[in-house]
Amino acid sequence: MKNLTLIIVLGLFTSLSAFASEYEEAMKSQIKKISTIGTDAEAQDVKNGFLRIAQANMTEWLPMYYAALVQTEAGLRFDVDKDAYFEEAQSYLKILQDAGADNSEITALEGYIMMGMVSVDPGSRGPSMSGPTMETFGRAIGQDRSNPRALYLMAQMERGIAQFFGQGPEKACGMFKRSLELFEAEKDKVDENYLLPSWGHQQALQMAESCN
Amino acid sequence: MSTRLILFFFLLMSQHVALAQTIITGTVLDHKGQELPGANIMIKGSYDGTTATSNGEFSFETSKEGYQILMVTMMGFKSVETTIECKGDEIEAGTFTLKAEITDMNAVTISAGTLEASDENKAVVLRPLDIVTTPSAMGDITGALQTLPGTSTVGNDGRLFVRGGDASEVGIYIDGLFVGNAYGSRVANVPTRTRFNPNLFKGTFFSTGGYSAEFGQALSSALALNTKDLSVRDQGDLSIMSVGGGYSHTLSSEKQSITASANYFNLGPYQSLINQNFDFETPAKSWDFEVAAQKKLNKGGHLKALFRTEGGGMELWQPLPGVEGRGVKIKLDNDYTYAQGNWSNFLTKDWTMFGGVSFSRNVDNILYDSLKIRNIGETIHAKSYGVKDFSDRISMKIGLEYFGQRYSEALPNADLERNFNDNRIFAYTEWDWYLSSKLVFRTGLRVGGSDLSSEVWADPRASFAYQISDASKVSVAAGTFNQMPVDNYRVLNPNLANSQAKHLIANYFFQKEGRTFRAEAFYKGYDNLVTFEGDQMELRNLQNGGQGHAQGLDIFFRDQTTVKNTDYWVTYSFVDSERKFDQFETQVQPSFAPRHNFSLVIKHFITDLNSQIGFSFSANDGYTYTDPNFDGEMNSKTKSFQNLSLSWSYLPKPNLIIHLACTNVLGRDNVFGYSFSQRPNEEGIYSSLPAGQVAPRFLFLGVFLTLSKDKTANNLNNL
Repeated sequence: MKNLTLIIVLGLFTSLSAFASEYEEAMKSQIKKISTIGTDAEAQDVKNGFLRIAQANMTEWLPMYYAALVQTEAGLRFDVDKDAYFEEAQSYLKILQDAGADNSEITALEGYIMMGMVSVDPGSRGPSMSGPTMETFGRAIGQDRSNPRALYLMAQMERGIAQFFGQGPEKACGMFKRSLELFEAEKDKVDENYLLPSWGHQQALQMAESCN
Repeated sequence: MSTRLILFFFLLMSQHVALAQTIITGTVLDHKGQELPGANIMIKGSYDGTTATSNGEFSFETSKEGYQILMVTMMGFKSVETTIECKGDEIEAGTFTLKAEITDMNAVTISAGTLEASDENKAVVLRPLDIVTTPSAMGDITGALQTLPGTSTVGNDGRLFVRGGDASEVGIYIDGLFVGNAYGSRVANVPTRTRFNPNLFKGTFFSTGGYSAEFGQALSSALALNTKDLSVRDQGDLSIMSVGGGYSHTLSSEKQSITASANYFNLGPYQSLINQNFDFETPAKSWDFEVAAQKKLNKGGHLKALFRTEGGGMELWQPLPGVEGRGVKIKLDNDYTYAQGNWSNFLTKDWTMFGGVSFSRNVDNILYDSLKIRNIGETIHAKSYGVKDFSDRISMKIGLEYFGQRYSEALPNADLERNFNDNRIFAYTEWDWYLSSKLVFRTGLRVGGSDLSSEVWADPRASFAYQISDASKVSVAAGTFNQMPVDNYRVLNPNLANSQAKHLIANYFFQKEGRTFRAEAFYKGYDNLVTFEGDQMELRNLQNGGQGHAQGLDIFFRDQTTVKNTDYWVTYSFVDSERKFDQFETQVQPSFAPRHNFSLVIKHFITDLNSQIGFSFSANDGYTYTDPNFDGEMNSKTKSFQNLSLSWSYLPKPNLIIHLACTNVLGRDNVFGYSFSQRPNEEGIYSSLPAGQVAPRFLFLGVFLTLSKDKTANNLNNL
């Protein structure tokens, strides 16, 4: 009888861990695909892959997070119905938030989507939406001061507002530089098995360079 | 069971993974037979799946075995599932037809009779920001709405007049709850404003007819103002204006926020610098104090409270036609309080509930020469409704309301008082039927009863909308509307019954890439309007003896894209209105219903100067009046009304706004009507006095400073 229990527990454990590593493998290969996206169709395929992983792993927040991220960046990059893309990305974050997921990366992405919405019609949306967008980035930074993406995105928004008011980019540039320090610190943790968000370093470097 | 047997099962289970691959192919179409590229196809619960290609086809391999669920999903469509058996061969899964899901985002909305200012909805004509930046509006909600179709400007009144209806025919609500005396009290041709600051609201829903069964007791129009949800940050807002000043402070946390504000206005210093046409003894002054609190509830609902109290007054000489001298001195003192609380939340995923109570109290103390008059009006409104979504195609709203109303007019020196109390109960229901995302029918019924007039009545309403293309739609609305006569008539004759209006409205709406075009034709029939004999000082024989109609067409065009950094809108409204009401013995064109109404608003942002320049021009063809020197009623018309207003908003820093505005820049001597002497003079002529403007121009200078840790915050962010 003891044997039986042992074997069942063993069996369960191996199949569970097999499943867990299956999740990790699927995520790793899917995350790799993000950087290869060149068209909207490719973006939709990568997003769908994340959504498939999400529906098979209801308790994980990362697959849905990446689906929202891919859709947001597709909305920014490609000639599509941008509002529809941002709204779709928002709906994925809402599923996470309704399930109680709340962290600095999710909040920063929420702000990223709002920033995208402002960019569609800065004239009429800027005045009412830029405040709440900045506030969202502020909240993301408050949740995790070492999150480089929260600071980098806030710097982008700051730069846009400064441009609008004809002010210098100094404040935004300072923020870009500080975000680079955080990206450097994060780099040490990132290896090929790293699933947590680690994007944005290259973009931040480019932004910081444009300051010089 | 032997260990060996268990091991065998275990191996068999692990075996699963290494079995042969099954290939699944198929096609995904929408309900019209169009391919759906981008659809997500998967074996439920696994990672296996793919994305439909540009011709809607898919093909993928799975290592799953046995019976599996194949699922096809796509944003905006309902998911489809089917069971397949994976046996390591190829499965042709066939064609999947996905039905479009009707959501708030893609469903057609009914435009007939509605004008919306909001950031949330797409089919809007104005943004909340537009209300404060329209030059002629001077920060007043009503002023901005007067640049929209279906309204007419009555410059010596200031209130909203919609499609041949008088100002009392507009019902004003905050978060669905009634606001009694929403405008400041008026005296002697001095125009009034809405009491509430536009900064309180996130959206304005203005109906010029055919409105929802949720609202009643308004023959022409419903104006629903929706307060903001949570404030996002702690901040202080300081305003210093040529006519007064104020401070507002907001405290906010993740779940709740509270804003308290106080203002003081006094036109004395301004009027001592700039000459007025009116003969003020004491220029208008007022103070107000307001608290608004919001709390976010767990399931996504809100708890809100609003309290406002204010006081003010003025004293002026009103000249009398045919009489030498300054005329009669009129003094007004007003005290006003409004309080409300409301709660809304999701009970379940498809049940939303709302409950709220509001209380309004208005006290006017008037001194007319030596005659003291005191009018007190109080209204309590309690309301509750639920919205049930039966599916994405059918939703129902069902609600119950109570109005308790008390009104009294007293002559304190003579110890005389007359008053009435009325209790009214309403029940309503409204159903939305979506036949597709392009076609919706709405049917509603509102039933009411009043204990004072012992009346019970029912108002059926219906509307539909059809989306013609991505950018355009048509909608039609019809219904009946009942409204009790105004308080100062009911207090004279408590038996007065409802007046009725019937609306029929057809609307065309086009919106594409920053351009909006809206055309609307309407017919409104009036019945049982109040008529009386005698003059305004002594009304006799009040009865529901009048009737009439209003019909017309209005056109609105707005363009935000053609000229860079420029946004403009043009409105033309034609109203043909005739009614028998008040003291008139025949059907006449009312003084508040000019036939041709035009307005143009232009806003241009100059990036280099951090400035927005505003231009607004409104005009109509004049107001009717009765000249007793000639035969007939409403036999004359004033010259055309014209007003050109300009404004300049300068944002030197993100948290500082300097706003300069001037109305009637050209100084046109607008006249809104004439008053005539009671009796003819020795030559047999009734002498007249024009009802004109308080001053040729009104000049406004304001500095608005926002103090906050977030340096980008400014007053406009509040909207």
